[in-house]
Amino acid sequence: MTQSYPTARELGLHGCECCGLVLSTPEGGAWLRCPRCAFELHHEKPMSLQRTSAWLLTAALLYVPANVLPVMATQSVLGRDTHTLVGGILELWASGSWELALIVFIASIAVPLLKIASLGLLTWTAHRRSRWRQRERAGLYRLVETVGHWSMLDVFVVVLLVGMVHFGVLASVEPEAGLLAFGAVVVATMLASSSFDPRLIWPQSPSDERA
Amino acid sequence: MSEPDIAPAPAPAPAPPPVLPALPEPVLARQNRLHMSLVWIVPVVALVIGAVLVARSFLQTGPEIGIEFRSAEGIEPGRTELRFKEVVVGHVKRVTIQPNRQKVRVTVGLDKSVENLAVADTRFWVVRPRIGTGGVSGLGTLLSGAYIAIDAGVSEESSREFVGLDTPPLVLRGEPGRSFVLRADDLGSLDVGSPVYHRRIRVGRVVGYTLDPIGKALEVQVFIEAPNESLVTTASRFWNASGVDLALSASGLTVNTQSVASVLAGGLAFGDPPRVASAPAAAAGQRFLLFGTQRAAMAPDDGEPLRVRMVFNQSLRGLDEGAPIDLLGVELGTVRSIALRQDVRNNRLPVEVMAEIYPLRLGKLRERFVAPGASATGGDRLLIKQLVERGLRAQVRNGNLLTGRLYVALEFVPKAPRASFDTNADVPDLPTVPGTLADVQPQLAEIVGRLSKVRFDEIGADLQGTLKSLDGTGASLQATLGSAEAMIKQLTPEAQRTLAEVQNTLAAAQQTLRSAEHNLTDTQAPLQQGAGQALAELQRAAQALRVLADYLQRHPESLLRGKPPDPARAPEAPR
Repeated sequence: MTQSYPTARELGLHGCECCGLVLSTPEGGAWLRCPRCAFELHHEKPMSLQRTSAWLLTAALLYVPANVLPVMATQSVLGRDTHTLVGGILELWASGSWELALIVFIASIAVPLLKIASLGLLTWTAHRRSRWRQRERAGLYRLVETVGHWSMLDVFVVVLLVGMVHFGVLASVEPEAGLLAFGAVVVATMLASSSFDPRLIWPQSPSDERA
Repeated sequence: MSEPDIAPAPAPAPAPPPVLPALPEPVLARQNRLHMSLVWIVPVVALVIGAVLVARSFLQTGPEIGIEFRSAEGIEPGRTELRFKEVVVGHVKRVTIQPNRQKVRVTVGLDKSVENLAVADTRFWVVRPRIGTGGVSGLGTLLSGAYIAIDAGVSEESSREFVGLDTPPLVLRGEPGRSFVLRADDLGSLDVGSPVYHRRIRVGRVVGYTLDPIGKALEVQVFIEAPNESLVTTASRFWNASGVDLALSASGLTVNTQSVASVLAGGLAFGDPPRVASAPAAAAGQRFLLFGTQRAAMAPDDGEPLRVRMVFNQSLRGLDEGAPIDLLGVELGTVRSIALRQDVRNNRLPVEVMAEIYPLRLGKLRERFVAPGASATGGDRLLIKQLVERGLRAQVRNGNLLTGRLYVALEFVPKAPRASFDTNADVPDLPTVPGTLADVQPQLAEIVGRLSKVRFDEIGADLQGTLKSLDGTGASLQATLGSAEAMIKQLTPEAQRTLAEVQNTLAAAQQTLRSAEHNLTDTQAPLQQGAGQALAELQRAAQALRVLADYLQRHPESLLRGKPPDPARAPEAPR
C-alpha cells in the first residue's frame, strides 16, 4: 500500500471523541484536553499496544487453567463428577450429539483461541507499523469486536445449570475454578479488543514504517 | 468512531487540503509521567496465581503406584477412588493389562499427604458388594461404584508396586483384638468368616485355616474383636458350635444351639470350664485345642490313659469301639479295640477288648490311693490292683434294650473267684466275669428243660377227677343249708323274750336322764347356783384386770418401780 491519505494529525487537527468538537493543534503536542467537554485528546489511544498485549497475555495465561481445571461438578447419588470443557465436548461428541459438540467447541474453544490469535496478530503488526493487508486487518478487528460478545456461552450454560439443578441429595451442579478462569479469559479478550486502537493499523507516515 | 476516513476505493489523486474555519485550541492536560500501562498488573497477577496453583498441585501430587488385580471389575480410570479408612486418598489413573495377560495393573495417583502409605506390606483390595455367610458388606458401593481400600502397612520399606487382594482382608492392621490358633481334627462346617461366640454373643470370627504341613491336623485362626479379646483366658476351651446338639437327660430332651446362623453356617464358641476360678487372659497367638462338642470341651482333663486288656468268653456283638467303661455310673474310659484271640488249651476263641481307662476320672478316690511319691502311672496301677483284690471285675452289659448296644461295666462282684492284676505288665489284664445276659442264658435253658419234663397230660386227668368229686360235694352242701334253717326256727321265741327285757332296761334309762335334766335346768339346783357364783367371781376378776391394764398403760414405769405411794403427789417430782 503506497497510497497515502492525510490524517488529522498531518493536518494539525484533533477531533474530540466525546463531543465531536474539531480542534486545531498545530503543535501536535501530547496531553491535550477538549476545551468544551474536558475530554482527553489523542490521535491514538495512549499505550494501546501495551494494554492490549497485557490483556492478551492475561487471557492466554488464563486459557490454560480454563481448559485444564473442571468447569462444573455434578453431584448425584451415583457420585461426584467433574467436567472440563474439552471433556464435555468429547462426551457430547461420543454420545452422538455432534451438533451440540460443534457449537460448544466453536463457542468455548475456537472463538477465544481465534480472538487471542487475531488480536495477537493485530498487535504485532501494529507494533511493527506494518502496512500488510491493512483493509483485511481492519475487517478482522471489527469481526473480533462483534463476535466477542458471544463467547460467554459456556458461562451462561453453567450458571443456568447451577441455578436450576438443585435436587438436594439427588443431584446438584456446582461451578468449579475452571469456569472462573474461562470467564476471565473472555473478559480479558474483550478488554484487549477494546484497548486496541484500530488507527494503529494505519501507520502515520511511510517514513515511520520499518522494514 | 473517529477513525481516519477511508475512501471506498483508492482515489486517483490526493484531495486538496480543505479550507478550515478558525478552530478552537485545546487546553493542556496534566501529564502522566508513567510510560507503562497499569494494565500490566493484571497478567502479572494471573501469572502469579497460576504459578501458585501449579506449584501447589505439583507439591500435592503424590507418587503413582501400581496395583495388580485379577480383574478390573468396577474400576474406572479417573473415577474410582482409593480410600483409606473411608477417606479418599487418591484416584485411579489408568487401568492396563499386564504384558503376560494374567492380571490387570491399576495405576493409582496417591495423595502427597498419604505418601507413607505406600510401603511394602500395605494391602489393597477392591470393595464391591459382597454377600457371604458372614453377612453382607459393601452395600454402599452398589450406588457409588467400587473403590479400592487400603490396609496400611507397617513396613519401613517403601514400595510402588503392589499385588491386590482378591477378597477383603479378614483382619485389618491395627484392628483392636487378638488372634488365636486352634488345632482341630477337621474343619467341620467352619469357613472363613464363621462367627465365634462367647455366651452366645458374637465376639469374633474365623479368619483362616491351614493344614498342618505334616497334614495330620488343621489349624484354624480366629480373631476375637476388642473389647472381648480378654475373655479368652489361658484356661479357655474352644468347641465347634455348628449344628444342633440334642441331649436326652433326666430333665427331658434338650436342644442346644448357638444361633441359627451358626447352625447354618457353622461357628465356634469358647468359654472357661466351670471349675476354673480365674485364669489370666491369653496372649495373642496362643494355641488351643478345638473340641467337637461343648461337653467334650468342658470335661475336666483326663490325664494319661491307662491301657488295660479284658478277655471275655462270650459274644460281644453290640460292643463297639468307643463304648464306655463304666464304674458305678462314672464313665472311666472307652473301648479302643475288639479282637479275637485263640485259646488253644480250652479250645475256645475268647474276645480280647483293649480299653483306655482315665484314672483321673476317679477324682478324690484316686488321690487317696495313689501314694505320694509314687509315679502317677505306677500309683494308678496299684489302685486298680487294690480294687481288683476287692472284687472289681469287668462285665459286659446291655446299655440299651432298643439298640442292643453293650458297654463294659466295672462291678464289685462279692463272690468272685480270686484274680490278680499284674501291675508290671505292659498292658495289664483286668479280670472279667460273664455278663448278665450270658449268665441268664444257661439258667433259662435249664428252666425250659425242666418245664419240658412236666407231664401235662397226667395233670389234666387228675384235674378232671377232682371236678367230678366236686359235683357230689354240691349235694351235701344243700342238706347242710336245710338243717341250718330248722335251727333258726327253734331259736325265735327265745329272741322275743330277750327283746322285751331290753325294752324295760330302756325305760329305766329314760328316768335317769330326766333327773339329770332337772339338775341342769332348774336354777335352784345346787349345780346351777355354784356355776352362777363362779361366773360372777370371774367377772370381778376381769374388771380388776382391766383397771390394772389401764393403770399400766398410764404408768408403765410402775412395772419396774412399783406403785408410787400417793398418786396425788406423783406429778410434783418430775426428775
